[in-house]
Amino acid sequence: MKHAWKGAIAAAVVTGALLTGCSSPAAPGAASGPAAWPAQSTKLDGVTLTIWAAQNSNKTPQSVIDGFQKATGAKVNVVTIPDPYEQGVQTKVATGDKPDLAFWQPTASELTSLNATQNLQSLDGAPWVSKYDANLGDITGQLNGTRYAALISSPAVEGVYYNKEVFAKAGITSTPKNWDEFLADARLIKGKGTTPFYDFGGGVPWATQWWVQVQLADAAKGGLWDRVNSAKEKFTDTTIQKAVDNYNGLIKEGLFNSNLKTATFEDQGKALLAGDAAMTVQVNSFFGQLQAMSDTSTLNQKIGFFPISPSGNVGTFIPDQSNALVAFKTGDATREAAARQFLSYWLGDGYAGFVKAQSTVSIVKGVDTPSIVPDALKAAAASIPTSVGSMQALATANADLYLNLGDMIQGTKTPQQVTEATQQQFASLAKAQGAKGF
Amino acid sequence: MTAQLSRPRPGTAARSSAPRPKTGRRRQDHPAWFLIPAVAVLIVFFFIPTLFNFFYAFTDWSSFKTKINFAGLDNVASLLQNGSLLADLRTTLVYAVLVAVFQNLFGLILALVLEADTRINRAARVAFFVPVVMSALAVGYIFRAVLKPDGVFNAILGTITGQHVDIAWLGSTTWTIVVVSLIHAWKWMGLSMLIYLAGLKTISTDVLEAARIDGASWWRTLRAIRFPLLAPAITFNVATALLGSMNGFDIVQATTGGGPGGSTELLNIFIFRTFGQGLFAQATTMSLALFLMVTILAFPVITFLRKREDVLS
Repeated sequence: MKHAWKGAIAAAVVTGALLTGCSSPAAPGAASGPAAWPAQSTKLDGVTLTIWAAQNSNKTPQSVIDGFQKATGAKVNVVTIPDPYEQGVQTKVATGDKPDLAFWQPTASELTSLNATQNLQSLDGAPWVSKYDANLGDITGQLNGTRYAALISSPAVEGVYYNKEVFAKAGITSTPKNWDEFLADARLIKGKGTTPFYDFGGGVPWATQWWVQVQLADAAKGGLWDRVNSAKEKFTDTTIQKAVDNYNGLIKEGLFNSNLKTATFEDQGKALLAGDAAMTVQVNSFFGQLQAMSDTSTLNQKIGFFPISPSGNVGTFIPDQSNALVAFKTGDATREAAARQFLSYWLGDGYAGFVKAQSTVSIVKGVDTPSIVPDALKAAAASIPTSVGSMQALATANADLYLNLGDMIQGTKTPQQVTEATQQQFASLAKAQGAKGF
Repeated sequence: MTAQLSRPRPGTAARSSAPRPKTGRRRQDHPAWFLIPAVAVLIVFFFIPTLFNFFYAFTDWSSFKTKINFAGLDNVASLLQNGSLLADLRTTLVYAVLVAVFQNLFGLILALVLEADTRINRAARVAFFVPVVMSALAVGYIFRAVLKPDGVFNAILGTITGQHVDIAWLGSTTWTIVVVSLIHAWKWMGLSMLIYLAGLKTISTDVLEAARIDGASWWRTLRAIRFPLLAPAITFNVATALLGSMNGFDIVQATTGGGPGGSTELLNIFIFRTFGQGLFAQATTMSLALFLMVTILAFPVITFLRKREDVLS
């Protein structure tokens, strides 16, 4: 067979070509125009708006949509983008596919990754900004001084969700006032035979990073992330490395659940609710999981929340995708205006109905939080005015710290390698953004 | 085979293994423009994207900028510094080899077991072919549920052994890659089976009868006659399983997502993650690295396998 090798080359080249994927770049966004804010009930007959939402936020806007459609005659469709949501949206936007509105994390890093200046409408001058409670209008939603995201609910806070009954059984009457007391309580609970901390390394171990971030709360107040952003400090330097080492130390000490490597997010909620574990460091979406398994009165009786930081009770806020929306530049002036009008309605006439339908904490002055909202959620919201931004909120890029920490739990990375890998990824993201010093 | 459409060529009545005459008439059987639709599809969907793949690997294309600038070998340099690329290439290679072995082993065993054309065998062949047409993601999610510590598989083991079993089948940083490659092989073994069945059918009964008269056992016949004569089927099966699973993504993403501890992170999962971060150029550079690895591996593998087919000529 003389032709065998020729055939082999042809087959190899074609196979290689077939087996390799590829993609094409996005079209640049349109120039920005001055934003007028139409009145909330302006008629919009014949206008159809599309909202992209994740699997855990696609039901969120329902009451607002119903009210808006009735008031204006517009039609609003919600399209669910499958998880991982952020990657899905980014890929679609990169190929030129855009909705009118989308749920999006209102942090600087995530707004940057959508190329906000090119793709998003400026929401400056929105009528609802002045109506936000406390400092909620200022802490997030902006990039380089321009507002791109509308916060619709209280941002998530990283802190400790604890089982009140387990605390009582161990004789703990007040929640810890700082990191040392927090660990002392954990050791006390362990002494009584209950697992103090529950975390999960199975599935996608996204909660691992909260353990590092709450330890960095004080440093974050002191400008840690500004220094990281400008390459003056690295993940591998003492501050962050020590937080990772501490987390690893607590695992080695046996303060975590014994099935840490294989446990999943679902297991975590069940364990805390059942009192099999005393505490979890988590964010609001974890409490959402508990709400799906239980009712408000049981939750009020069993589950409490307190923020924690090395020196005290500073919370770490991390607005997530379900907390805010962005409006895209679609090139269609009517729909762009309608999208802004929709946001005005959401945070205006539609807001009371929204907090009631979602039983969530109100962030708009003059709209009361419904009485059915569980205490732990109110406590989380109450900690926001004194809290500090998380890595996601303050760093210009969001490296996969949680995955590297997950690898540490599985034993495939040392604490040193965790910070090295994270720094490496952070640097390449910062470089792609054109940040100085990378 | 399309030669049937034209007048019978002189000499084709001879055995099929006779060398084919290369005449001008043969070319006339297939007007060149018949190729246009296929070539157009190939160019638009494969060649152009592949060329772009080469091009974008050397730019700074990302989600953060609107303009794409030439960046030289910058991406390559930063990737080589990054240990993840080499680690993931290794994982991908291990995965591909495991899949190729398991898929062909299972496929061949099934083909031998279901060789006879009985009604039961026909039904069984269909049953084993079903996973091939199933969605890979569905397969992944089903196996993830089945292999959970409190999943069905452990429950079955528990019933058989009479004690509580809670093995985390997808929780070992050493063995999970074997488990996911078994799942991949399970999904595709039906296809290998089909090709091996077709290969077995082409073996002349004369040869097998001669072997039987000589007193060769079933095993001896398989080893000395049937297996060597299956060479073309083996070439196709091994090449597609090996090179195809180098490009594996869906099944592993659905079962482990690259975990535990990154031990099943195939290069494509890493590419997906990098792309999702908005680093499009880096992701493209990685897929170029994968392309090169697949190509480099394809040459010796296919050459070697084709060499084995010489027994047929």
